[in-house]
Amino acid sequence: MANDNSTNRKAILVTPEACIGCRACQVACKSWNQLPSISTKNNGTYQNPPDLASAAFNIIQYNEVPSQENPVRWLFVSRRCMHCEEAGCMTICPSGALYRTAEGAVAYDRDKCIGCKLCVTACPFDVPRYDADNKVTKCHLCTDRIVAGMLPACVKTCPTSALKFGDRDELISNAKKEGYTTIYGEKDLSGLGSIYAFKEEPKLYGMKENPAIPSSVVFWHTYLKPLSLIGLGGVVAAAAIHYLAIGPHKEKEEV
Amino acid sequence: MAEMVRKSSVDEILNHWILAGSCILLMITGYAFLFHIDGIAAVFGGFNAMKTVHNWGGVVFCISLLYSMRHYLVDALEYDADDLQWFKVAGGYLSHKVRVPPMGKYNPGQKLYYLAVVGAGIAIAASGFGIWLLKDNNTVMLLSHLVHNVAFCVFVIAVPVHIYLGTLANPGTFQLMVSGTLPLADAKKRYPKWMKAAGKL
Amino acid sequence: MTNHWIDLKNADVILVMGSNPASNHPISMKWIMRAREKGAKLVCVDPRFTQTAAKADLYAPLRSGTDIAFLGGMINYILEKDLYFKEYVVNYTNAAFLVNPDYKGPADLDGLFSGFNAEKKNYDKKSWSFQLEESGVAMKDPTLQDPNCVFQLLKKHYSRYTVEKVVDITGTPEDKLLAVYEIFGSTGKPDRVGTECYAMGWTQHTVGTQNIRAMTIIQVLLGNMGMAGGGINAMRGEANVQGSTDYGLLFHILPGYNPTPVASQPDLATYIDKNTPKTKEPRSVNWWSNRNKYITSYLKAIYGEAATKDNDFGYSWLPKIDVGQNASWLMIFDKMFKGDFEGFFAWGQNPACSGANSNKTRQAMTKLKWLVNVNLFDNETGSFWRGPGMNPKDIQTEVFMLPCCSSMEKQGSIANSGRMAQWRYKAVDPIGQSMPDAEIINELYFKVKELYKKEGGAYPDPIVNLSWEYGDCDAAGKVKHLDIPTVAKEINGTFLEDVYDKTATPPKLIGKKGDLVTSFPSLQADGSTSCGNWIYCNSYILKDGKEVNMMARRGKDDPTGLGLYPGWAWAWPVNRRIIYNRASVDPQGQPWDPKRPILKWDAEKKAWAGDVPDGPAPPMGTDGKFPFIMKPDGVASIFGPGLVEGPFPEHYEALECPVEVNAMSKQRINPTIKIFGDKMDAFFSCDARYPFVGTTYRVSEHWQTGCMTRHCSWLLEMQPQNFVELSFELAKDLKLSNGETVIVSSGRGEVKAVALVSERFKPFKISNTTVHQVGLPWHFGWQFPEDGSGYDSANLLTPNVGDANTMIPESKAFMVNVRKA
Repeated sequence: MANDNSTNRKAILVTPEACIGCRACQVACKSWNQLPSISTKNNGTYQNPPDLASAAFNIIQYNEVPSQENPVRWLFVSRRCMHCEEAGCMTICPSGALYRTAEGAVAYDRDKCIGCKLCVTACPFDVPRYDADNKVTKCHLCTDRIVAGMLPACVKTCPTSALKFGDRDELISNAKKEGYTTIYGEKDLSGLGSIYAFKEEPKLYGMKENPAIPSSVVFWHTYLKPLSLIGLGGVVAAAAIHYLAIGPHKEKEEV
Repeated sequence: MAEMVRKSSVDEILNHWILAGSCILLMITGYAFLFHIDGIAAVFGGFNAMKTVHNWGGVVFCISLLYSMRHYLVDALEYDADDLQWFKVAGGYLSHKVRVPPMGKYNPGQKLYYLAVVGAGIAIAASGFGIWLLKDNNTVMLLSHLVHNVAFCVFVIAVPVHIYLGTLANPGTFQLMVSGTLPLADAKKRYPKWMKAAGKL
Repeated sequence: MTNHWIDLKNADVILVMGSNPASNHPISMKWIMRAREKGAKLVCVDPRFTQTAAKADLYAPLRSGTDIAFLGGMINYILEKDLYFKEYVVNYTNAAFLVNPDYKGPADLDGLFSGFNAEKKNYDKKSWSFQLEESGVAMKDPTLQDPNCVFQLLKKHYSRYTVEKVVDITGTPEDKLLAVYEIFGSTGKPDRVGTECYAMGWTQHTVGTQNIRAMTIIQVLLGNMGMAGGGINAMRGEANVQGSTDYGLLFHILPGYNPTPVASQPDLATYIDKNTPKTKEPRSVNWWSNRNKYITSYLKAIYGEAATKDNDFGYSWLPKIDVGQNASWLMIFDKMFKGDFEGFFAWGQNPACSGANSNKTRQAMTKLKWLVNVNLFDNETGSFWRGPGMNPKDIQTEVFMLPCCSSMEKQGSIANSGRMAQWRYKAVDPIGQSMPDAEIINELYFKVKELYKKEGGAYPDPIVNLSWEYGDCDAAGKVKHLDIPTVAKEINGTFLEDVYDKTATPPKLIGKKGDLVTSFPSLQADGSTSCGNWIYCNSYILKDGKEVNMMARRGKDDPTGLGLYPGWAWAWPVNRRIIYNRASVDPQGQPWDPKRPILKWDAEKKAWAGDVPDGPAPPMGTDGKFPFIMKPDGVASIFGPGLVEGPFPEHYEALECPVEVNAMSKQRINPTIKIFGDKMDAFFSCDARYPFVGTTYRVSEHWQTGCMTRHCSWLLEMQPQNFVELSFELAKDLKLSNGETVIVSSGRGEVKAVALVSERFKPFKISNTTVHQVGLPWHFGWQFPEDGSGYDSANLLTPNVGDANTMIPESKAFMVNVRKA
C-alpha cells in the first residue's frame, strides 16, 4: 500500500487558477440533483445566481481585482459547501439531519431535517440553504455518486481539472508538488473537505481568513452540552446519596 | 374526621401539573434534540413531529408559567429572618438533628426554586421563540440558541431537585400536590407561620 | 482546424485571437491548460478582457477590425528580426517564386493592388501571377533576393506596418504589441511551435478571409504548419459545422469541396476542365487533379443507375449557379426582401435573430408566401409575424412548423473542428411528433417525387432520378425509414463493378463489385465507383470481410504520445490527424522538432511512421513530392492570388468605423465588398449619432440565437438577459451605472440590454483620439422568455455587409450608440 497512514477521507480540490469560468459545474450539479431553475436578473455581473441558493449548490464567483499588468484580474472561484471536519452545521443540528459520510463529506438526511435553520447560523461559510419545503439543501459531495464509484457531477464535467476529486491527502500532496504553495482548508476547522490550491494569498480570491465556528456554538458544544448531562446526572446521583445517607424528611413528634 | 386545610386551589394544582408536564416533555424532547436520540424522536414519530410537539409544548409551558405567577410570585418575593436561618441549616435536609426555623406557606428553597423557574423559563421561552420565529437573523438565532441551552442547564438541574424534594425526600408532599389539602394538624406542624397568619394557630 | 483539439497541448505558444475559447470552446481550454502546465505561453489578443484573457500569460487589447494591422506588424517584426524559419520558407512556400513584374501592391498604389477596376469593384488578377520557366514551372530565387520574388514583395508590403503605425491603428499599447510579437516570433525555431485559435472574431469582418490569410503567412514564415502543436485552427461554433461544410451546406460547394457547377459549364468535361488545377511542376502532387474521379463518383452516388456515361452521369441535373452569382445568406435575404422568393425552408436556423441586420431578415420574411420552420422549438423566425413592430393582419406569409428532434434522438455522425467524424447513437426516442431531419427530408422527397410523377412539372429529372436506396420500401415504393448506416456507406462509396489497376501487368484487382471503397485513391472517373463525399471515403470500410464503421471506433491508444489517438473515431482525410504533416519534416524526412515527431521517414523500410502522411511519396529531398499536396504548386502560398482583395492581406477599416482615414492608405474600406443599397441597409461611419465601436460575441451558457438554450431554464438562470459590456470611462461619460438597463442602437435598429460596467473594456487611443468599444452577446430574442425579459437580438444592430470572399457579415465591428433606457 502506498499510503498506509492515509485516512479514507475524500475531498474536492478547487484550483481557481485553472478555472475558466465556463460554469459547466453549475449546470452539471443542477442536472444531477434535478434542482429547479431560479428566476434571475442580470445584475451587472456574470455571476448568477448571485449567491448559493436552495437550487444552487455551487456557483462560480467572478471576482475582479486590480492588476498591474492588465486592465483587471478576473478570478473565477467555485464556491460550495466546504465539508469541514469540524462542521458547525453538524454540531448544531438538533435532529442529526446533517451527518458525516464514510468518505468524509457532510451530507444531510432530508427526512430528518426539522427546518430549524440553526445550521445556517453555525456555518462559517454561509453555505446551508433551505428549499421550498423548508428542508436544508447544500452540496453533499454527490454522495450518491461517489458511493457508486463515480466522480461528483461538477468534477466530472470540469473541462480544465479546476475541480478534482479524490483522496484528500493525495490531492494536497499533488497540489503542493505542482507548485501550489497554499492549500486553503488544509488545517482550517481540522481540515476542510473542499480544499483550494493557490499560489497567492487566498484572500485575493475572496477566501475567508481564519474561518471558525461561532464562539457561542463552540462554548455550547464544549461546556453546555456536557453540563446538561452532568447536571442531571449529578442531581440524580446526589438525590440517591441523600436518600440513602440522610433519608427523607421525618415529621418530628411533638415533644 | 380530622379538619382539612386547603393549601392549593384546584386551578393551582391543575396549572402546576400542566407546567410540570410540559416542562418534562420539553426536557425530554430537548435532550432528544441535543443528543440526536432517535429512540425518543421515534416515540413522537420522528424529529419533525417532535419539533412540533416541542414548539407547541413550549407555548403551553409559557402560558402555564405566566399563569403560575398568580399563585406563587408574591410569596416567592417575600423573605424574613427565619428564611435566612433556614438556609443556615440547609432546610434540615443535611441532618435531621438540626432545628429548622418555623416556615410559612413556602420555604425559601421553594421560593428561590420558583424564581429560578420563572427566570430560566422566561429565558428559555423567549429564546425558544427566537429560534422558532426569527430564523433570518443570525445574531438572534445564535444568542437564542445559547440562552436556550443555558436555561436548559438550569432546568435539568433544578427540576430533578424539585422532583426529589417533592416526592421521596418529603413524603406526603406529592399527595398534597394532588389533593391540595392536608390535615390541619399537619399544616400547623409544617407551616406554622402560614397557619398563624390564617388565624388557625 | 489543420490540427485537432488535443493537439493544442503540444504547442509552445498559443495565440488566441478572434476567439474566446474559455467561454465558447471550454473543452479546448482543457488542452490549452495542459500546454500551459508544460510551460507553454497563452497569448490572448481581444478588444475585451475575456475569460481567456483572464487565463492568459499575456493579454493585448486591440480595436475590433484591426487584426490585419496587428498581424501585418507581426510579419514585419518577424522579417526585420530574422525570426522566420528559412529552410521551411525556401522549400515549402512560394517565397522564392518570382512574381510578374507588372504586379504592384498597396505600397505603390496607395492601398490598392494592380488591376483594380473601380467601376466593377474587382480586380483583374492578371498581374498577380508568377514568372514561368519555359517548362511552365514558376521561376524561383532560392536566395530570396530577387526584388520580384514573393519574399521581397512581402517585405516591401509589410515594411509599411511599423510598430508606430500599428499602435496608432489598433490602439494596442506598444509594449503589449511587442511582447506578443516577441513571444509568437520565438516559434520560428525548428523546435518551437506556435498555434493559433480563431473563430468568428476573425471571420465576421469585411476582411475576414484576409485576417486568416495574414495568420497563415505568419505560420508558414515560422514553419508552424503541419507541425504537432502548430497550424491554424478554426474553432467551429457548432459541434457539426465542420461536417456541414464538408457536405456542401454552402451555396458554392458540393460535398467534398467540389465547386458548384456554373451555368457556363454545360457539360461534365467543361466542369472538370475548369475546376482542375494544372501544374507543370513535376514534384507537385496537385491532389485536385483527381477532381474528375470525385465528381463522377459523386454523381454516381446521388443518381445511381440513372447516371450513365451517355448522359454525363447526370451532370446536367445538378443545379447551376449563374456566372458570377453569389447565393450566400446576405444575398438570399436581400432577394427575399425584394420579394424574389415565394417560399423558404428555415431548417435548423433562426434568421430572425441570427441574421445580421435582423430587422431586414424579419421584413424579408413578410414578403414570403410560405415559410417552413424546421426546428426543435418555435422561434423568432416561425413567429416573426407576431414579433415586435409586426402587424399580423398585414402579413400573408403562411407558416408551417415541422418539429424535428434533437441530436440525442437520432444516430449519425458529426464532424468536429479537428475533422474527426464521430458516430453517435440514439439515446432516446424523439418526443411527440418530432422526427429526425433525415426522416423529414425522406417524407418530403417522396411527396415531391410523387407530385412530379403525377403532374410532370418543368424539370422533374433531378428529383425523379435521385437514387434513394436507404431502407425498406412500402408497397408504393416509398422508403419507410432511413437506415442511417446505409447513408454513411453511400457517402463512403462502393465499387459498382470489379475495378482493376490497369497500370499494373497483369491488371490488379482494386475492388470487387459491391464492396465498400477502401479509400479515395481507388475512386474512378468512369462511373465504376460511387462516393457521396470523397473526403469521407475510408470512413466505412471492409475489414476481414466485415463492414466496419470507422467513425464508431473507440480505440484509446496513443502510440506517438502526441494525442493523435488514431483508433478513436476517424478523421478526414484517410484518418490523417494533422494535415500538411509532411511539412513537419525536413527534406530528408526527419522531423524538424525531434521532441514532437508527428511524422518520420524510415529510409530502410521506405515508409513513414507516425500520423497518416500527406501522401505516401518519399521525402522531398529524396526524389519525393512537395508537402502541400492540395496546392497546385505543392507549396504554401505566401503570395496568394486566390482571394479577391489581393495576394497579400492589407489593412482596411470596417465598413462602419470610428476613423475618418485609414492610417495605412487612402483606401479606407475593403474596395471589393458588396454594399446593398436599400435604406434598410444603412451604415454610418464617423457619425456622431453612433460614436462607439460595437461587437458581438457568445457566452458559454447560450448557443447561437439561444433557441435551444433559452428554453433550458438552468442556462437561462445563469445568463437571463441581453447585456452590453462597457468601460467605466464610457459609463461615466454616459452617466450609466452597472446593472441598469440601456438601449444600444445602430443605424439599423436598437436593442435593450443590461449595462455591465467593468474594467474588461478600456477605451482605445487611436490617432490621438479616444475610441470606446462596447460588446453584446447575440443569444437573445423577443419570443422567449415569453415575458420579454431577455430582450431582443443584438443582430438588430449588426450590418448586413459581408466579407468580400465569403459574404460572412461584419458583425464583429460596427458603430453604435448607448443611452439610458
